[in-house]
Amino acid sequence: MSILEKVDKLHHAVAWRGDMPITSRYTAGIAGEKFLRTIKEEARILGTRCGACGLTYVPAMTFCERCFAELDEWVEVASQGTVFTYTVLYRDLDEKRLDPPAILAYVKLEGSDGGLVHYLGEIEPEAVHIDMAVEAVFKDAAEREGSILDIAYFRPVSE
Amino acid sequence: MTVNIKDFPGVYLRESDFTEKKVLFTEWSPNAQYAWDAGVAIGRYLAELKEGRLVGVRCNQCRRTVIPPRTFCEWCFRPMDDWVTLPDTGTVNTFSLCYVTWDMQYLTDPQIPAVIDIDGTTPRVGIMHMMGEVAPDDVEIGLKVQAVWKPAEEREGSILDIKYFRPLPNDE
Repeated sequence: MSILEKVDKLHHAVAWRGDMPITSRYTAGIAGEKFLRTIKEEARILGTRCGACGLTYVPAMTFCERCFAELDEWVEVASQGTVFTYTVLYRDLDEKRLDPPAILAYVKLEGSDGGLVHYLGEIEPEAVHIDMAVEAVFKDAAEREGSILDIAYFRPVSE
Repeated sequence: MTVNIKDFPGVYLRESDFTEKKVLFTEWSPNAQYAWDAGVAIGRYLAELKEGRLVGVRCNQCRRTVIPPRTFCEWCFRPMDDWVTLPDTGTVNTFSLCYVTWDMQYLTDPQIPAVIDIDGTTPRVGIMHMMGEVAPDDVEIGLKVQAVWKPAEEREGSILDIKYFRPLPNDE
């Protein structure tokens, strides 16, 4: 006799279940701190500028990605921009159905070479198109807490 | 480039900077649940633990009896031959005094993880468990031990259905 058994009844199948308690903490950093606090306190979007390369970074960075120079020239950029690309999400991270679906876009901000990944609102998914003009909708000052979600979403600029 | 930087910008962060919300940060806990398929051998091992029994398997070619059970002999590369019900007594093969928990909290009273060679198995195929009802100084290699089980209604098919191993009194 040898042990050549198979699990042929489903209730005999045993799985060991567990959960790995992992928490990560991500700080905004030097530039991110100023960038987010300005959104929180003044509802304005800041970038940093590299004069040598002629680039304005949004979100603000401490170093130029192109020439590695330290950046200390802070400039305000518009809270309007255009949809560079977008996607429509029907499921959340836990695969639960989202109703209505969320629209996530990379919004290139006017007067900068950067932009923000953010939600689009006040628009149906079918109506979104690339190069569409959008503007940031800030939460009320009392609700803002120094998060990128202090911008509630971007909405189409009314003509 | 970094050799030219005398003072790096920024400051080191302390835990209080987070608890007092001095800096902006986000926290994220991924949903890291898992289900590990126990398979035929460990499946029965866990089921027998729930009944308060230890089982191993035997290979008739190398004549080893091993615990935890497995479906094939890793020495002979052939299926195991028999299930063997084992006693819940054994011998300390090796042990450690552990003054930190898995998440690095200091312990005044150490945990005592030990490898127990279960009676009736081939030497050096022991199982890992904890020692209990014993002072750290009294644990030694070769100490005779016995499992202390949870009450039947609390057992759930887990190696923790054994609470710990305690020294077997000399006269037993």
